[in-house]
Amino acid sequence: MKRLHFVVIVIFVLVTSCTLEKTDYEAELSTETTEYIEFEEVTSITSGDYIISIEALNATLYKGYNEIHLNIINTQTNVSLQDKDVTFLPIVTDANGNKSSCPHAYNLEYNATEGYYLGYAVFTSESDTTISWQLYIDFQEGSQSYKVDQSITVEKQTNMNLNMTAFTGNDNEQYFIALVSPQSPGVAENDLVAGIYKYNQPTSSEGTFPDPSQYAYSVVQDYTLLLDPRMPEASMGNHSSPNNQDLTMENDGLYHGVVNYTMTGNWTLNFIFQNEKGETLKGTEVSTEFTPGIEGAKSDLYIDILF
Amino acid sequence: MKRILLAILFLGTFANAQNTSIEKDSSDVVLDEVMIIAVKNKMKTDIKKTISVDEFLASSDNISFIKRGAYAWEPLLNNMSTERSAITIDGMHVFGACTDKMDPVTSYVESNNLSDIDIKSGQEGSINGATVAGSIDLKRKRTSFGLGKTWHGTYQTGLEFNNKQLFNLGNVSYSSDKLVADGSMSYRKAENYTDGNGDEVNHSQYEKFNTSLGIAYKTTDLSSVRIDAIFDKAKDVGYPALPMDLSLSRALITSVTYKQFFKNKLIKVWDTKLYFNAVEHYMDDTTRPENLVHMDMPGWSTTYGLLSKVNLKKENYSSEIQINAYNNLSIAEMRMYPQDRSETTMFAYSWPWVTTRYAGLSMSNLWNISEKSQLNFGGTLGVNYNFSKYAEFNWIFHPGASQEKTRFLPNLYANYQFKSGVFNSSFGGGYGHRAPSVSEGYGYYIYNSFDRYDYIGNPDLENEISYEANASAGFKNKKGGLQAQVNYFYIQNYIIGKILSQGSPMNYQSVGVKGYTSLDHATLFNLTMHANYSILENLHWKGTLTYARGLDENKNNLPFIRPLSYQTSLHYSYQNLGFLTSFHGDLKQIDYSPEYGEDETPSYTNWNISADYTFYIKNYKTVFQVGAENIFNEYYSTYADWGNIPRMGRNIFTSLKIDL
Repeated sequence: MKRLHFVVIVIFVLVTSCTLEKTDYEAELSTETTEYIEFEEVTSITSGDYIISIEALNATLYKGYNEIHLNIINTQTNVSLQDKDVTFLPIVTDANGNKSSCPHAYNLEYNATEGYYLGYAVFTSESDTTISWQLYIDFQEGSQSYKVDQSITVEKQTNMNLNMTAFTGNDNEQYFIALVSPQSPGVAENDLVAGIYKYNQPTSSEGTFPDPSQYAYSVVQDYTLLLDPRMPEASMGNHSSPNNQDLTMENDGLYHGVVNYTMTGNWTLNFIFQNEKGETLKGTEVSTEFTPGIEGAKSDLYIDILF
Repeated sequence: MKRILLAILFLGTFANAQNTSIEKDSSDVVLDEVMIIAVKNKMKTDIKKTISVDEFLASSDNISFIKRGAYAWEPLLNNMSTERSAITIDGMHVFGACTDKMDPVTSYVESNNLSDIDIKSGQEGSINGATVAGSIDLKRKRTSFGLGKTWHGTYQTGLEFNNKQLFNLGNVSYSSDKLVADGSMSYRKAENYTDGNGDEVNHSQYEKFNTSLGIAYKTTDLSSVRIDAIFDKAKDVGYPALPMDLSLSRALITSVTYKQFFKNKLIKVWDTKLYFNAVEHYMDDTTRPENLVHMDMPGWSTTYGLLSKVNLKKENYSSEIQINAYNNLSIAEMRMYPQDRSETTMFAYSWPWVTTRYAGLSMSNLWNISEKSQLNFGGTLGVNYNFSKYAEFNWIFHPGASQEKTRFLPNLYANYQFKSGVFNSSFGGGYGHRAPSVSEGYGYYIYNSFDRYDYIGNPDLENEISYEANASAGFKNKKGGLQAQVNYFYIQNYIIGKILSQGSPMNYQSVGVKGYTSLDHATLFNLTMHANYSILENLHWKGTLTYARGLDENKNNLPFIRPLSYQTSLHYSYQNLGFLTSFHGDLKQIDYSPEYGEDETPSYTNWNISADYTFYIKNYKTVFQVGAENIFNEYYSTYADWGNIPRMGRNIFTSLKIDL
């Protein structure tokens, strides 16, 4: 009889002892975002004895910020071209045939340890049937100069943490802000990195196409990007986080700050863009009120992210 | 399926109960008596014969309650919340899995698997783990070896009319020279209760199932092995004071104990226990369509540990040395659903996988100096280690806070007692540290619906340090007695929530963010007066008066301090009949604390009455009881009712208990 009791209880416990699954937090963080670390070849161009291999993360060029590595190899000697002047110019042609560019590094920097030329491009639109992107790469070897161009495809950026925005400031200049990092944020303090660029209005008329003076962009120096992150979901009532730091420029030419995300989901990074004198060029202060059920108003200048 | 199993078990209980025999004289089994101390069942109060664990605890002078509904009250010892007391089951540490304290440890046991609740005030309780307020040890029911009557059973049933609570509690025990088994099973189901105005209090229903089993085997004449298990399951529990309810909570509490006795040695007994318990708790807000945000808030708490103690005795000196170690992992999640369910959900940990390890070596001594006086003294040295797996959650509010933290927790106490004729007195003191709880150290946006703030833990909080003094004096003769007890705590680094200037609320009901912060100090004073008098041989009077005051460093009131309260009862017995009437109540709460979300609570009085009748059905002792609580049907809520939810109005209860 006693044994029966025991058996009955054991069975009972076993029958009912299934539990709700715990959340796999690491998997939770990567549902909306994928972090790419490896640079892989997007495309390659042959010009004379040289083959130019263009590398980017995940072998893809996306709308927004792209770090670009160029390997230039002599196919005859199998030796890579070292420390030469290499220029890089992306040109987009829209449906009306108008040509323009996007923020980019025109003179590529040679990285001796890794053996590649380093650059970036902030593609402002995705390729489609009417919009096409073309890369113009020039370099000189001895007396011989090489000029190549290659059409490329700019894909939609599915990771909202690498979103970008383009706007005209109060000073009538055209500015671009592109998120660089983190690719996959956590519910944590995240180092927020962004590139801020402006279009240099040409001072002379256009020469032979492609004339780089018509398509010049530069890194905005020593401005400040004030940050106020908030959750846009109405039920979150304009929720924000503590201990965030505004973005300021560092030696790598990028702007660094700190954003705290208190939970996963949709966040809006509200910005105020100020020049070195502290004058606001774009952006408005947002309400800090907690308003459950009511979506908080966004700044004039913002980028939405999701993780 | 469960119902069928239940039925089988109950049938078994009845079938077994047929095997009765004559009771053996207890003097034959001295050693057995020691081996497994057969404690008389104390799980009843004056007014009620069949009670819940909470009702039993409520009958102690030192205990008050924070109530969030009709179920799972949070016991406050010496007017301090559960973080400050060590709550154990037979010395085993169990930790609730709910960040909102919807499941104090006491909610995972049932009155019919307990024999007693051992409450130690202040540092004397530190033998069960570092504490400030004291310890509450829930004692499992245990049958002795070799009782003449091999099978014994008890069945209790009853109905409480106010909330249509029906309960069935069954117990069975078997005792032979070599083997002992205790089993219990209980089921309670209650609907919403009605307050004093006759209004139904929505979301106050509950359903609880509990079963336990203990088997002990005598391995030699002087040793035994015992296996214990408790399984508890609560379903569909409403918390009217909270914005969410409980869909399911479950606990499995297990242990293996080895006991070795020694004859004619300094060491009398060595008792070692290994234990494991797992608690899961799933909050549910689908019952609250008015909520703006749907949230899932599951929590898990898993603990394993070791408890090993030796009892020494020589002449007028006895001592207990104990090693107490445990490892707990507490996890709590929250997932919020946007109104547009196709959008991504929002996720965060409210307990980011927090591990707590504690190891303590403690000693308690009793020295009978003379027939009139004795000295109790002892202490514990504990090491407490915390680790937060996802410390990035903690770093949002406390950048650079330690991910792991080791603390040393000393606890010391001494108490001198003196007895002379009809007078007795005692005085003592204590000093002790406690580590912050998981919520205080690592909690993340834990919504407190009392003050409507989201709470954030701080991993680098200092230890809370208590300096304590206590004294008592009393008088007792054949007709009655009078006893007064006071204690005073000066608590350094008193941990409490303070409004943070940074961050914004996450829960939509919340008004702001509070961080657990250390006050420089806080003080607490408790006074209890107790009197009893036998007016006639069968007419007894009892009265209790308690007063407490808690102040923070700026002499502002602390929250949840009980106002002056009283209880008085009169018991009359005539042959097989017993009558009892009692009054109890609190005076107006003058010393409330608006900073911590309290408002003034008016006074209230409850009048209760009950009658019981003992009779025999075929030699089985049967007690039938009927009574009523809150006869005036007063509409009231106490100082510690979360969100001022009204208490139960008039409640008529009946119970029947059969000893088989």
